[in-house]
Amino acid sequence: MTTTDLARQHAPVRRGSLEALRRRPVVLGLAGLLVLAVAIVAGVGLGTVHISPSETIAILAHRLGWGAEETWAQSSETIVVTLRLPRVLTALIVGLGLSVAGVTFQGLLRNPLADPYILGTASGAALGAAIGVLIPIQIAWLGLGLVNILAFVGALAAIALVYRVAGGGGRSTMTSILLTGYAVGSMLAAGLSLAMYLSGSQLRQIFNYLLGSLAGSDWQSLLIGLPIVITGTVLILARARSLNGLLLGDDTALHLGVDVRRERAILLGLASLVTAAAVSLAGLIGFVGLVVPHVIRLIVGPNARVVLPLSAIFGGAFLIIADLGARMAGELPVGIITAVIGAPIFVMLLRRYRTGYQL
Amino acid sequence: MYPQTSARALGTDRRRGFLIALTAAASLAVALAIGPAPWTPTVLGADEAYPITVVDDEGTEVAIEAEPQRIISLSPANTEIVFALDAGDRLVGRTDWDDYPPEAAELTPVATFTGVIMEQVVALEPDLVLAAGNFFTPPDDIARMRELGYPVVVVYAPDVPAVMDDIELIGSAIGASDEATAVTAQMNADFDAIAEAVATSEDTPRTFYEIGAEPEIYAPAPDSFLADMVVLAGGEPVTTGDAAAWSIPLEELIVADPEVIVLGDANYGVCPDAVAARPGWEGMTAVTENAVVPVDDVPVTRPGPRLTRGLASLARAIHPELELAEFPADPPMCEAA
Repeated sequence: MTTTDLARQHAPVRRGSLEALRRRPVVLGLAGLLVLAVAIVAGVGLGTVHISPSETIAILAHRLGWGAEETWAQSSETIVVTLRLPRVLTALIVGLGLSVAGVTFQGLLRNPLADPYILGTASGAALGAAIGVLIPIQIAWLGLGLVNILAFVGALAAIALVYRVAGGGGRSTMTSILLTGYAVGSMLAAGLSLAMYLSGSQLRQIFNYLLGSLAGSDWQSLLIGLPIVITGTVLILARARSLNGLLLGDDTALHLGVDVRRERAILLGLASLVTAAAVSLAGLIGFVGLVVPHVIRLIVGPNARVVLPLSAIFGGAFLIIADLGARMAGELPVGIITAVIGAPIFVMLLRRYRTGYQL
Repeated sequence: MYPQTSARALGTDRRRGFLIALTAAASLAVALAIGPAPWTPTVLGADEAYPITVVDDEGTEVAIEAEPQRIISLSPANTEIVFALDAGDRLVGRTDWDDYPPEAAELTPVATFTGVIMEQVVALEPDLVLAAGNFFTPPDDIARMRELGYPVVVVYAPDVPAVMDDIELIGSAIGASDEATAVTAQMNADFDAIAEAVATSEDTPRTFYEIGAEPEIYAPAPDSFLADMVVLAGGEPVTTGDAAAWSIPLEELIVADPEVIVLGDANYGVCPDAVAARPGWEGMTAVTENAVVPVDDVPVTRPGPRLTRGLASLARAIHPELELAEFPADPPMCEAA
C-alpha cells in the first residue's frame, strides 16, 4: 500500500474546486510555474521606486543582448539589474529551499510542527551571525561577509551536534533527535542572548538578522548560495520515495526496503545543508518552511514525490511576493509579511479540508 | 561589509550604544551623541577647488568630484547641519527621523529602522551621501553605497568638540566652509557665554540625566557625550560608573542621591509626578526638593547646530536661577503636571 492509496482512503469529505487539483498535480505544477513567473516579473518590475514595465523589459532585454536602445536613466538600470534582480532570485531560492527542507523535516520527524529550524539550525545560525557581527574585523571570502559564513557554519554545526549527541547513527528514534534538537537549540539561544546583551551598537544588526531580510541580496552571495540550494533540493527530490517510506514509520519503511538509518541521515544532512544556505543568505525568515508544505499537502495529499516539487515552486513564489510586500511597505522585515499573508491562507485551507489532513 | 573601525574604536564604547537600541523608537537621535571614536577629521583639499578628498570620521578618504548638488543625509544631525550651512536646498534624501527644520519633512525618506532603502538612494542619484557612524547607518549599507559608486562621508561625533569638527567636515565636503566657520564660531561664542553664566553659580549639584527608566534605569556612562554636556551645564553627572555599562541599578542611584533629575525622556511621556511616584525614588533629594525637570532632549543629544541651545536648557534645568535669555526656552513640557 503506498501513501497515495492511503491518502485516497482518507480523501476529504468536502469537495471543492481545489479538490479536482488533487488528482492533477501536474496541472497544479504548471499553475505554480505561472504564478512563479508572474511573481518574478512583479518582483523585478515593482518596488519603492516606480519604473515602468516597458522600461523594465527594455533594460532586461538590453542586458541579455537583445538590442533595445538605452532610453532609460542609468539609475533605473542599476535598480533593476543590481538591486532587484538578485533580490528576487535570492527570495526564490530561499523560499524554495526552506519549503523543501520543511517538507523533509516534517516527513522525517513525522511532526506537523516541524520546520527547517526545528533541530537547532536557527539558533546555531543566529549565534554564528551574532558572533560574526561582534568580531570587529573585516573578512570577505568570495564576496561573502563573516556574518553569512558564520551563520552557515553555525547552522550546520548545530545540527551535527544534535545528531551526534542523540546518537543519530545508532538506534536512536527521531523523537530523541527532536528532543535533543530542542535542548541544543535552547543552549545556543542562551548564547545568542548573551551575544545580544554584549553587542552594544551592533544590536540592531543582530536583530535584523533574526527578523530575516532580503534587502542585502547581491549577485555574489546569490551565485554561491544557488548551487548549494539547487543541488540539495535535487538530491532530496531524488529521494522522495525514501521519504514516503519513512513517513509510514521506521518498521514499515524497513519492510518496504528502505535503509532507514542511511536514508534518514542523508535526508537530514541535505535538508540541513539547504536550510543553512537559506539562513546564511537571508537570515531567519519564519513561516515559509512550516506552512508552504502544509498548504501543498492539504491540496494534493501526502505523497512526497508530488509535495516536494510543488512546495519548491510555490515556496519560491510565496517568498518573492512576500518580499515585494515588504519592500512596498517601506522595507518591513519580510518575516512579518510571510506570517501576515500565510497564516490566514493556511487557516482557510485547514477549515476547508478539516477532515482529510494527514502528514 | 564591516566598518573600517579599529578594535580600540569599538572597545570601550560599543555597549553604551546598546541602550539606544533598546530605547531606539524613543531616542534614536541619542545614538549619534554617545561614544568616542579616536579620529579627528582633516581636510586635504581645503581650498575647495573640486575635485577634493576629505577624510571622514572613520578615517576613510572620500573623493568628491564636484560641488555636491544632490545630497542624501542619513542622520537627523547631518540634516540639521546641512540646513544650518544654507545648503538645505541641495538635500534630496533624509531618514525617517529628520524632524528639524520643518522643511526637512519634504525630502524623500530613504532610511528606516531596518536600514537604508537602497532603491530610493539609487533613484535619487546622489552626488554625496552623509552617513552616520557608530552603527547608526548600518555598515553593510555604507559598504553597498560605496560599491554602487557614491561618495559616502561617515560622520560621528564622540564628544562635544567633535561636533564642531563635523560641522566643518560637512562644510568642506559640500563646499560651504565659510558658512561652517561662521556656524562654529557662533556656537563657540555660545558655549563661552553659557560657561560664563554657569561659572557664576557656586555649586555643581549632583545631576542625574535620565535617558529612560523602563525597564532599567538608563544613565550616561562616565565621560560620554551626555556626561560631558552635564559637566558643561554646571552639574556633577551621576553616571553608570563604567564606560561599558548603560544602566544604573536603583540602589546605586539612591546612594548617589541626585540633587537634580533631568528628564531626558520627557518627550516620551515621562513627567516629574511619575518620578515621585516610583517606589524607592521618594527619598532622593531631587524629588523632595522638587528639582525634577523635564527637558526637550533632542537639542541636548543631537550632535548638530542646536547643541548650544540644548546646553542652555540643561544649564537652566540644573541652575534654575540662570536666565540665559538669549537662548530660546524649551517648548512647554509636562503641562498637566
